[in-house]
Amino acid sequence: MNRKPILNAYHPKLTAGLWLLGMIIIGILGSQILTKNWLETGFLALLPTSEQQPEIANATRQHNQLLNRKVVWLAGASTSVEAINHAQKLKRQLEQSQLFNKVVLEFPQQQYINQYQQLFPYRYQLLDAQSQEMLAKNPEDLIKQNLEILNSPIGQMQAADLERDPSLLFGRYFSAQHPIKLNLEQGIVVVSDRQQFWALLLTDLHDERLQLDKLDTLLHLVNDATGQVKAQGGELLVSGMALFTAQGAQSAKQEISTVGVGSSLGIMVLLLMTFRSVRPLLLAMLALASGLFAALVLSIWCFDKIHLLTLVFGASLMGVAIDYALHFFCDSFGGKAWLPQQGLRFILPGISLGLFTTLLSYAGLGLSPFPGLQQVAVFSAIGLSVAWLTVVLLFPLLLVGFKPKHQPLLLKLTGYWQQHWPVWLLSNKRWLGLAAAVFVLGGFWTLTPRDDVRLLQSAPAELTRTADKIRQLFPMSPDSQFFLVSGQDQAGWFQNEQRLIKRLETLKQQKALTAYEGLSHYWPDANRQQQNYRLIKHKLVDSGLLERYMNDLGFDETAVKAELKQFSAAERNTLTLPEWLATADESKQQLWLGCDDGHCQSTVALTGIGDFQALTALQDLPGVIWVDQVESLSSLFARYRIRASALLAIAFSLALAGLGFKFGWQGSMAIMSVPVVALAVSLAMIGWFGQLFSLFNLFALLLVLGIGVDYGLFFFIAGDRRDSTSLGVTLSALTTLLAFGLLATSSTEIVHAFGFTVAVGIVTALLCAPLVGLKNT
Amino acid sequence: MLIKALLLYCLAFGQGVAGDAVLSEISAIAPGIALPPASLQSAARLAKTPITQGDFHQQKQLKVLRKPLISTGTFTYDQNKGVIWKTLTPVVSLLLVNESKLLTGQGEQAVPAAFGKVFKAMLGGDLAALTDGFVITGTDQKTSWQLALIPKDEMLKKIISTMVLSGDTELRQLEIRETGGNVTLISFDNISHPERLSDEQEADFERLSP
Repeated sequence: MNRKPILNAYHPKLTAGLWLLGMIIIGILGSQILTKNWLETGFLALLPTSEQQPEIANATRQHNQLLNRKVVWLAGASTSVEAINHAQKLKRQLEQSQLFNKVVLEFPQQQYINQYQQLFPYRYQLLDAQSQEMLAKNPEDLIKQNLEILNSPIGQMQAADLERDPSLLFGRYFSAQHPIKLNLEQGIVVVSDRQQFWALLLTDLHDERLQLDKLDTLLHLVNDATGQVKAQGGELLVSGMALFTAQGAQSAKQEISTVGVGSSLGIMVLLLMTFRSVRPLLLAMLALASGLFAALVLSIWCFDKIHLLTLVFGASLMGVAIDYALHFFCDSFGGKAWLPQQGLRFILPGISLGLFTTLLSYAGLGLSPFPGLQQVAVFSAIGLSVAWLTVVLLFPLLLVGFKPKHQPLLLKLTGYWQQHWPVWLLSNKRWLGLAAAVFVLGGFWTLTPRDDVRLLQSAPAELTRTADKIRQLFPMSPDSQFFLVSGQDQAGWFQNEQRLIKRLETLKQQKALTAYEGLSHYWPDANRQQQNYRLIKHKLVDSGLLERYMNDLGFDETAVKAELKQFSAAERNTLTLPEWLATADESKQQLWLGCDDGHCQSTVALTGIGDFQALTALQDLPGVIWVDQVESLSSLFARYRIRASALLAIAFSLALAGLGFKFGWQGSMAIMSVPVVALAVSLAMIGWFGQLFSLFNLFALLLVLGIGVDYGLFFFIAGDRRDSTSLGVTLSALTTLLAFGLLATSSTEIVHAFGFTVAVGIVTALLCAPLVGLKNT
Repeated sequence: MLIKALLLYCLAFGQGVAGDAVLSEISAIAPGIALPPASLQSAARLAKTPITQGDFHQQKQLKVLRKPLISTGTFTYDQNKGVIWKTLTPVVSLLLVNESKLLTGQGEQAVPAAFGKVFKAMLGGDLAALTDGFVITGTDQKTSWQLALIPKDEMLKKIISTMVLSGDTELRQLEIRETGGNVTLISFDNISHPERLSDEQEADFERLSP
């Protein structure tokens, strides 16, 4: 083995001091950082925003903001009175929880009254589309419809203010402002399906991004309330983005503890069994703890906030970070008169190259645009590096005098295995090779990529079902897709949005969607307001139709005169957009994105989309952009899946070249054959088992590459210490397997896929590695 | 004057209930299923049949108008299918309604949730159930009866002061007095109870089915 000068100048006490100093600094940093709110739980935090144009990103943020804070509650019972009772109790409970800044049960009448009063002075400028058309084509139809409305045995909202609005035009406009008619009982919205009545309660959370403890509180609140309503014979449906987040956070926490506890227990048992001493166990735990702690502190320092899912991956990192310590301990079975410093000298090239290749694969992860993956990469890189540093800097001092006297059973087993397994493999290589080739090719054949962004989120089926049911009963929450409309000025924007809305109206009648919401549908611009006024003047007033109609109905002479006078006095009225917005509710205000340097923008929200193709086709209209976050992220996934494949190839070549430089081409090829086979088998298994194949598997494969190289490398440089090396590799494979195997139990599909891929890769790498370096002995 | 505008939303609901009450009263009210208070026993004389049809004459006296709005037409009630309210004068229009759907010349409209309750209670002859929503007083003569219904619901109270139903073996007249001074008076004539619906009636009800 070649000696490095640096090792000659190696002073265990000095390096241990260095390590201590570093950890103290990290500790101080941690004491400041960890007291902040550093945990991210929201699903959207995992997704990249940098890829989008800023205006689309901005519109998306605004569109999501309101959506993410909404929680919808429907209390159901067989009678509406009971349903309302449940809802009223629920309301008190929700108000006490202090999670919400708005809990709305009674319909906000006052708001509507205010809006009516504020808009009323502009009644001759405001027309709904239908009245506009009737007036233009045949104003007599409007009069006929008025008679129908006035004579209806069922009260008509449009006719409520006949005295001040004799033509009922404003009544029509105002009722068109609220296209979905709600049924009120005791001032509360009650919807019904065939079996039950449902009272509606709308809440807005304080914060779009709830902290973990608040999410817990929310989840408990939902469970408690559901139980209580059920106990009284009712039913409660709850839905909202925050619930999905809360569920996700809960399962993530579960997974962190499963993986963390499972790995720790596994490591303890393996170490105690193998070394029959507490020292290696404590030291290994120290390396792990320092690695994880440093990773946590430095990642938060780096990102400000880290995501819960990062910690899930972080927990699985334990299985890899323990490797360096394991190889060190196992080496003690190798030499006769083993000294820690000698041991380090022997394993240093191996574990250093191992660290290097693993870091290389994590660097690949970090290059992706997904904040979640970048965090995983940085977290893992720091964790591994610090674990490595702990082993290198601290262990030589702390392992002084450590020399196990026994021959552990596992050493005998792995020793036997590493001797006989390669022989058996080689003697059967013909049919084994053929079988492997068929297996791998068959697996590749069935491999189908899926790039759906929704896989990032684990939603229990029940939650999704409830959300669907609520959407059915109360079809008011907009879909995540929307249109972004822009124009050079307000007039340009108005024209563009009107053009879009006309097409949307046609599509709505063809049932391609159930509803749309755009500002220009409610607010006519200054030009249009003048047109409206002229239309009424021309068709109703100047033609004498209005006067005749009012006389026929039985209005007083004075009432007719007053109406005509008010009409002519209103000629110059104009309602500006800010004035109109001030009267509108939050969901409509949210649609306006504002004007800046010659650029006006709004969004058009959509509900109940049935025909995506018909809607996407509308983006050909001038100034109209179709925004589908799910679709664009999914296509981003697909693009990055391809990029990650290239990355994998690059990492592979780099490792091949690096190893070739050190060990020669043949050696390099021999080492690299381990990860190659592992990668191929992983992919094939994904295919055979119909597992999810996406971008994330490729990142898992990067890790398999790193670990596979390690195993190959250790055997390659093992020389006469093949027994202790095989023990080290086996132990490290077992711990890694445990961690990633536990990851495969995750309910989030991508986490599961990640775990599965790595687990298969590691088993394969372990099985192939003893073939390397055979001829050296 | 503003009160009407103020109550826009409630009104849609309130008149809805009133209207529904009208429609349901058109029908035969089954006697004595639930034991009604003494004043309700009068209504027990109503004939009990699944189908009722006849003519109506509706007179709406709106405060702002010097003369009443008068409309006439025919109605059909089917216990299972709902109500057809066909106005023939002054303009021909059709209104169809059942527990979950309301169709008018302006398209489909929401059916007030309370509607189902009142509707069912009246149609099912369960007048006692109406005491939940209304204070009921009545007079009973040998050949005729009269019931006055005053809403208990605060919101409804703001719009409707009283509904007065009167009749003999059939419901003959219904009067709705609104707090604002408007009065609607509907009288029913030529009431009959055919065995089955006509094809035209069937076709109209067909439009209500989902």
